[in-house]
Amino acid sequence: MTRHRISLEEFHRMVEAGVFPEDLRLELVEGELLEMSPLGKRHAAKVARLTALFSPLVPHKAILFVQSPLGVGDSVLHPDLALLRPRADFYEDHLPQGHEAFLVVEVAEASLPYDLGVKVPLYAKAGIPEAWVVDLVGGRVLVHREPGEGGYMEVRALGPGETLAFMGVGIPAEELL
Amino acid sequence: MTRHRISLEEFHRMVEAGVFPEDLRLELVEGELVEMSPIGPKHAFVVRRLTALLAPLVQLGKALLSVQNPLVVGGSELYPDLVLLPPQGDSPHRHPLGQEVLLLVEVAEASLDYDLNVKTPLYAQAGVPEVWVVDLAHRRVHVFRNPRGGGYQERHTLEGGELEILGLKVPVREVLP
Repeated sequence: MTRHRISLEEFHRMVEAGVFPEDLRLELVEGELLEMSPLGKRHAAKVARLTALFSPLVPHKAILFVQSPLGVGDSVLHPDLALLRPRADFYEDHLPQGHEAFLVVEVAEASLPYDLGVKVPLYAKAGIPEAWVVDLVGGRVLVHREPGEGGYMEVRALGPGETLAFMGVGIPAEELL
Repeated sequence: MTRHRISLEEFHRMVEAGVFPEDLRLELVEGELVEMSPIGPKHAFVVRRLTALLAPLVQLGKALLSVQNPLVVGGSELYPDLVLLPPQGDSPHRHPLGQEVLLLVEVAEASLDYDLNVKTPLYAQAGVPEVWVVDLAHRRVHVFRNPRGGGYQERHTLEGGELEILGLKVPVREVLP
């Protein structure tokens, strides 16, 4: 039997028709509906801190999407944070797409294998220039650059004492760990 | 990550909202959307034969005959090849439920394993009192009766002789091409 792969169009129609309960947050990952796990307080705090650090870029240099949908190929993901190309309407008229993202950040506690094995390759395929994975358990930030069909060509692990930088914002790695 | 199990209510809202293309026939099998394979000529032929063989029950007012229509089976919505329903209680507002069925028949060509190991246990759980699985490849009919828990207490395999339902005898040789 063939499992039906839900298309992007079908997923949008489902969401527009209010098919799912409002409190259910779903990602569409390569044709499958995945439920997003509830966030722990540490994860939530890191996302809040990242949001604060990047907020000086808004709205002229970038738009900040926090745990909001992003079209990534045929999938719809909710990265913890995405910096998007500025738009006067804040993407009211369409779902932002991978090619409109400058950076995505995932904060990973239990989800590290899924983030690295499934989501990061999708971000690379969609051509998102940079993806950070904050590995809370491992105490490092994995910075991915040079996206291609097969993944990111460059991966660097930054630990305490090192500084992340993006669009003029410098972030000491220990602030995220 | 947790795969989202689509509920019956969500599935019905999807269908009502016209989420899927019209030519796509989908079953909801334990929270998953499964695409129905196209029906081959031999399969269709046997369904027509069975329809003709069981038709006297309709004429006698003993049953309604429903062919390849939706049936709610627990939290799943399936399209069995053929079901007999009680002559009373049919409704234009909802699909029949597994426990209301008098007999359910599946014709299996490539799908034998799926019919026997996935669908039949679902029918047992939902309390379908009798299931016939017509195995075209081996020219035999599996008869299941007395559902209890996740299985049937009684199982016979007929290569000849007669099937019997509601007092009507159906020779196995007439069912198979």
